[in-house]
Amino acid sequence: MIRWEWIASNVDQLVEATVDHVVLTAVAVVVGFVLSFGLSVLIYRNRRLAGPITGSAGVLYTIPSLALFAFLVPFTGLSFLSAEIGLVSYTLLILVHNIVAGLDGVPADVREAADGMGYGRARRFLSVELPLALPLIVAGLRVATVTTIGLVMVAAVIGQGGLGQVMVRGFNFRNDTAVYTGAVLIVALAIVADLVLAGVGRLVTPWSRPRSR
Amino acid sequence: MPDAPSRAATVDFRHVTKRYDERLNNAPGAVNDLSLSVPAGRICVLVGPSGCGKTTSLKMVNRLIEPTSGQILIDGVDAATREVTELRRGIGYVIQQVGLFPHQTIGQNVVTVPRLLSWTKARQRARADELLATVGLDPARYRDRFPAQLSGGERQRVGVARALAADPPIMLMDEPFGAVDPIVRERLQNEFLRLQEELAKTILFVTHDIDEAIKMGDLVAVLQVGGKLAQFGTPDDILANPASEFVARFVGADRGLKRLSLSRVADLPLQAAVTARSGEGCGPARQRALADPFPYLLLVDDARRPIGWIRDGDIPLAGVLTESMAIPMSPLLNRRTTLKDALSMLLDADVQAGIVVDRAGAVEGLLTVEAIAERMRDTAGDTQYAGATTELVRDAHDGAEPGSGDRSAAAGPAGTPDAEAVEA
Repeated sequence: MIRWEWIASNVDQLVEATVDHVVLTAVAVVVGFVLSFGLSVLIYRNRRLAGPITGSAGVLYTIPSLALFAFLVPFTGLSFLSAEIGLVSYTLLILVHNIVAGLDGVPADVREAADGMGYGRARRFLSVELPLALPLIVAGLRVATVTTIGLVMVAAVIGQGGLGQVMVRGFNFRNDTAVYTGAVLIVALAIVADLVLAGVGRLVTPWSRPRSR
Repeated sequence: MPDAPSRAATVDFRHVTKRYDERLNNAPGAVNDLSLSVPAGRICVLVGPSGCGKTTSLKMVNRLIEPTSGQILIDGVDAATREVTELRRGIGYVIQQVGLFPHQTIGQNVVTVPRLLSWTKARQRARADELLATVGLDPARYRDRFPAQLSGGERQRVGVARALAADPPIMLMDEPFGAVDPIVRERLQNEFLRLQEELAKTILFVTHDIDEAIKMGDLVAVLQVGGKLAQFGTPDDILANPASEFVARFVGADRGLKRLSLSRVADLPLQAAVTARSGEGCGPARQRALADPFPYLLLVDDARRPIGWIRDGDIPLAGVLTESMAIPMSPLLNRRTTLKDALSMLLDADVQAGIVVDRAGAVEGLLTVEAIAERMRDTAGDTQYAGATTELVRDAHDGAEPGSGDRSAAAGPAGTPDAEAVEA
């Protein structure tokens, strides 16, 4: 029931959709990370902001994705921008949560030692706390990335879906091959992205996998 | 930063008070009008029950905690006037949980402060290796490991190395050996004392363990809850003359025994030993032995190394002395043996006289249980508590009413009596 000749004759379109999908995802995760990092630093510097910030991110996260994309259309149209606004808002909760948890997880004795040895506040943050928060930050990035890859598909409703578009067209034209191909590529993309990030995570945190003595 | 050992600094607490709650004078961790002077190059131990403010006092030196009032002078300079990161980089800091950076190798951890001080890479690497060797860790084996790969004792050594990295004149040590097992703790304590003999840093050392305080301290400051200085003096002083019932209870009913651990065999006059060589004629040996009140003759070899005891009455009237006549020896002591160890060995022995030998193993004299007991009687039984017992305590409380702000150091020894210590 898979029509291989359809795949063969539509390679260009599939590649293009895959690239779109990757770009939509990457932009969303990068922008989401930058925003989340800023929000997390605000929380780190002022604990009282933790409630309002994670609360707002939580509200965004609970809005059903189809509804959110539809809601944005009157303001920003069937555009790349609409898609990204939706995608970015879903990354915030995950990323803020993990960055804050990572910074909170820095052991008190490590912080005290850093202070006692004469680290300034900024230097302590950059060269002690941030590196120690990396494992949780990378974990957050992995979840956010995989989640976003899935959500990009939903953005097909506003004409921005990358591989989601391929699947929607498949439904509309009763083309099972297109539906399956799109689904398989999305799953493959998610797995590859997760593995790559996991590898990067291991590279940047060599201390967290102690070699045997 | 010079590579040569830096001069140690003096640390003076001048009426230092820390209140956490304006209404409470003795909230846990509070410090109340603490005045004491630590001379350069000495270990001063702050000891007391939990909540007595000993850690607070320590952290006020490197300003992890700022005093509510009073001053801490380092080499005469008020710590509050120094730039805080610069101040801290000049003070070694060791804490119970060590606080190594898990994401850095041992070598990188050790040179944390040199890195902050922007030493060259080559100099940092050389310093890391030098310090690892100093604390007994093979640089080649440990340099590139991460803290998670080390045992608790090894991590603690790295903590000490790190504190020494920029050769600070002062070290603050907050229960540095508190998190390791007793055997490792004792080894680390001994190694550290040996190290301090070369380094001669000024060290403030916090512990809740009076035995550790007595062992580690040149000076001991006993604090009581509410952050009051109950007594400040040498370990021997505090054991011999507790200034208050609190101090007496804190050092424990066995303070006489504890005091023995501060004295060594060399501190007591030795009793001359009546000796005879193996192969010597019995007659003259018997005469010598009977002329001495001690009921045993000590048989020695040609190098005067002890072989064993012969009871005076068992010496034959004629013939020569042989090794087979000797009964097993008492424990051998040397001049460095503590009286506490000596006593414990003597109590186990058949003949309760320790044979004190020199480095070559030759007999120098005898130490009896009676001589040690005599020494103990000097301390036992006094229930009178001295007031300010030492020059140092008088120094620290000299010259000014608490809180008056007058820091004249010129007042004579008849300055304000230490009312708090006396009334307790």
